[in-house]
Amino acid sequence: MKVYTGTGDQGRTSLFSGERVAKNDVRIAAYGAVDELNAAVGAMVAALPEDRAADVVNAQLVRIQSDLFHVGAWLATVPGSPAADQLAPFSEAAPQWLEDKIDAMEDHLEPLNAFILPGGHPSAAWAHVARTVCRRAERHVVGLAEEKALGFEGAQQMLVYLNRLSDYFFVAARYCNHLAGCKETLWHG
Amino acid sequence: MGTGRNRQQCYRVSLDHRRSLTSGTFELHFARPAGFEFRPGQKITLFGDTAARDYTLVGAPEDRTLSICVRHVPGGRLSPALARAEAGDRFQISAPFGFFLYQSAGRRAVFAATGTGIAPFVAFVRSGVRGFCLLHGVRTQRQLYYRDILSQSAEQYSPCIPGSGAHDGRPPDAYSGRVTGFLENCLSRGTYDFYLCGRREMVRDATRIIDRRFPDSRVFTETFF
Repeated sequence: MKVYTGTGDQGRTSLFSGERVAKNDVRIAAYGAVDELNAAVGAMVAALPEDRAADVVNAQLVRIQSDLFHVGAWLATVPGSPAADQLAPFSEAAPQWLEDKIDAMEDHLEPLNAFILPGGHPSAAWAHVARTVCRRAERHVVGLAEEKALGFEGAQQMLVYLNRLSDYFFVAARYCNHLAGCKETLWHG
Repeated sequence: MGTGRNRQQCYRVSLDHRRSLTSGTFELHFARPAGFEFRPGQKITLFGDTAARDYTLVGAPEDRTLSICVRHVPGGRLSPALARAEAGDRFQISAPFGFFLYQSAGRRAVFAATGTGIAPFVAFVRSGVRGFCLLHGVRTQRQLYYRDILSQSAEQYSPCIPGSGAHDGRPPDAYSGRVTGFLENCLSRGTYDFYLCGRREMVRDATRIIDRRFPDSRVFTETFF
């Protein structure tokens, strides 16, 4: 089947729950940023060093990519619509899972008492891209929550998840540099 | 998501019987494997020796068999083999998947199909959906398979047959033109839930008309080819 349908050529698109909205609708901006984040995570996966410890990160990132599809699906669905019944509940355990992974990586890292410049190993650089896109997604979701109440079970967990996910990518960037033997560049002001 | 495809899960099924709809279209009924549950409007992938194709299940979830509607494409990679299949022949199918589901209780629904894109609407009707407006775009009257069951359940049933397709006669309730022509010229302005299934060009053009003529409507689409 062809990937192009032409139904969005006039600048409008359909939500999962069927509503036609402009492509600059706040809901589209929100799940579009999540989609962009998912692509950045994919680039990070592709850039991971070949290392057994990196394989663990790889598995975490694949799970995160799957979770982001759930985030996108919820954002593409008007709360209370029949389509919402087709979605799995957003996991309350997901933020805790991220915290566990953050803590495990930090056990291998030196304490940080200065800003670091984003970069280093390609996987770390992509982790910083993911971190910043994640923050943008979070801002859009906050805007969506203010403009059109998110209003679904698990909405608060989604905000917590995105907030924690950005932290995860910051630590993952440091961890990838650690695994690859890349020295972090501190910001000296 | 609950109705997503479980790509790991497949079922072995045997053909129960074949039912001809027209000279070039038929239903295949498979013995229903244990544990196979689906929702009206969902699809399966049917794996043949040389190709795999997606087909919408046209029966009701509680039916004894699983049924699909197949258009025989001469020279095609799968449908000719399906046209020759006999009772007892075995096939592999995927778990059901897809999100083209009826979700318009209490709202005005318009179903628009071209050709075998009628399949999910048959599944809706066989599952008890009633009171909708149905547009079925076909080239000739002979392709109006499922006409009886659909017209009995619809509030309005309008076959859409372009003028050049009238050589085998035109039913009195048919609209002379395409589905998109009906949407443009005949459907009263208002807010609807539109379900579009069929050719990409129809889905594209119908969506543009909906955006212009029927603001605040909802649109659900399934593109066949």
